[in-house]
Amino acid sequence: MSEKLAIDAKGLSKGYKIGKTKQQVLKDVDFNAYHGQVTMVMGPSGSGKSTLIAALSGLMKPDEGEVIALGESLWKKKKSKIDQFRLDHCGFIFQGFNLFPALNATQQVEQVLKYCKASKTEARRRAIAALEEVGLGHRLKQTPAALSGGEKQRVAIARALSKNPQLLFADEPTSALDSVSGQVVIKLLHRAAKEHGAAVICVTHDPRLEAYADRIIHMEDGKILDDRQITPLT
Amino acid sequence: MSLALSTLIFEWRRYMAAVIALAVAGLLVLSLVGMFMGIGKTFSATIDRSPAHLMVLPPDSEGFGGATQPRRNIPALFQHPEVVEVQPYTVRWAMWSNFPAAGQPAKRDGVQTIVVDPVKGAVTMPNDFNEDVIMALQEPYTVVIDQSSLAKLGVKVGDKATMNGRTVTVRATVANYPSLFNAMVFTSRQTAKLLNLADEGPRVGSLLVKVADPARTDQVVEELNSMGKGQYKAWTRAQLSEKNQEAMFKESFIVIILGFMLLVGIFIGVVITWQTLQGAILANIKEFASLRALGVSMGALNLIIMELSFWVGIAGLGMTAILLMGVNALAGAFNLTMYYPLWSILTIGAMLLTIAVLSGLLSLGVLKKSQPADLLR
Repeated sequence: MSEKLAIDAKGLSKGYKIGKTKQQVLKDVDFNAYHGQVTMVMGPSGSGKSTLIAALSGLMKPDEGEVIALGESLWKKKKSKIDQFRLDHCGFIFQGFNLFPALNATQQVEQVLKYCKASKTEARRRAIAALEEVGLGHRLKQTPAALSGGEKQRVAIARALSKNPQLLFADEPTSALDSVSGQVVIKLLHRAAKEHGAAVICVTHDPRLEAYADRIIHMEDGKILDDRQITPLT
Repeated sequence: MSLALSTLIFEWRRYMAAVIALAVAGLLVLSLVGMFMGIGKTFSATIDRSPAHLMVLPPDSEGFGGATQPRRNIPALFQHPEVVEVQPYTVRWAMWSNFPAAGQPAKRDGVQTIVVDPVKGAVTMPNDFNEDVIMALQEPYTVVIDQSSLAKLGVKVGDKATMNGRTVTVRATVANYPSLFNAMVFTSRQTAKLLNLADEGPRVGSLLVKVADPARTDQVVEELNSMGKGQYKAWTRAQLSEKNQEAMFKESFIVIILGFMLLVGIFIGVVITWQTLQGAILANIKEFASLRALGVSMGALNLIIMELSFWVGIAGLGMTAILLMGVNALAGAFNLTMYYPLWSILTIGAMLLTIAVLSGLLSLGVLKKSQPADLLR
């Protein structure tokens, strides 16, 4: 698959006011990511990596700079259009799994698909397919309380993947997991890039995940220090 | 099943405070209405169970009360060809005293004496009095009282007692004529005369009227009112019952108590339901934030909360019904009649749902904390 540019951000800056002082978290950062690739953003705490993906995904407006996502200028859109953009094109995986305790695995996925205008039967079919893809075909009716940490994260991945997102953002997706579950999760993210052609942008501390990255970006003090392309672009 | 309903069922303990607050608010008002209406019903028990098709009251009377009208209205009513029976509804106060067992103090109390004609189908004879009761009333100097009044009046069936100083015998009992204040004692017109309780003077109270064809009662009422030219006013039983209920709520102390309870109920309901909903939403705020991150709009999340508050309201209604059954059982044990007119049930139902929805609206502000960027630590 020849990689296409999925996200292209230029001159991103963001600062937070803490008391009377303003702390600059992102300093004129340029960033891009390609379809079909897993881009890892690594760096110590406070380096600005989470703020970067918040700005890239339309969750937090940068003070300066522009994000072109799937060919559209993200921050020139109205708030509701940004929501719609995320609904149509973005998947998210967080460190905490954030699953509703009352819903079983299938319902967790269906809940999101309902807002994607999928019919009830279509939502059910896609939810089951997504859960089977993450290896949870035998846990469809389990609520979060009956699932292990790794399984919960796989439900969260199924929920994100069921929308067929072109952009998949993951924030420390393996931090709360043991090494075996962590491996399973990163393999699923890798598959999302390779088989579904999603641009996967993953923020992590975990050096074991480097093995699955196509590109590794190191950040520190709100700047990109290093940008290594592991898998050459075709 | 929707997310809101699943959440309410799964996390029912979390929402219990809100459901109970709503139920208590509903119960507070509804049980008071039930009690007041029940008292009203007790007062009119003999009317409600009279075989009369219509009642004739003084023209300015606003309900079944103590106002009187000229006795000559009785023959005037017979000018309508369809009127077949007219009798005055006679209630007189009397002083009751039992014959106590040796060493026991006598039980003395004022009683309401209700005069009936001990003939089956008579317009003054309540339609739930059986043959034995009617026959018992045919004997002079016999009375019939409600079962629940036996202890209050210190007698049992077969005992003697005095009314206004004359000896009477309790020959039978009837059921479902409890009285919150003074007990009801039924006598025949003949016994009432013997006890000097039947007034044959020129004025009478309400008149009970039977017509030839009960299906034409409404028309007869209209025709009587036009014939009477303002000398009296005829009412159907339904009209009078409605008027009695209205009159009940014109009593200022009842309106004040009910209004106060309504305000307290609404205040408790809104505050507790609002706070409970807020707490419950905050407990799931990260889940809502993840939906926001996935592109679900704030409007859609607001709808989930509003649906949740609606279901909390429905659960509150269910709980009110259960608690109300308990209150009714308790009232039954104390022979207290409770009556809930449909309007009171509908009003309280609407009030509880309004409280729940209002609390939901007040809780929406918490959702603003569902900023998905906060999930990206």
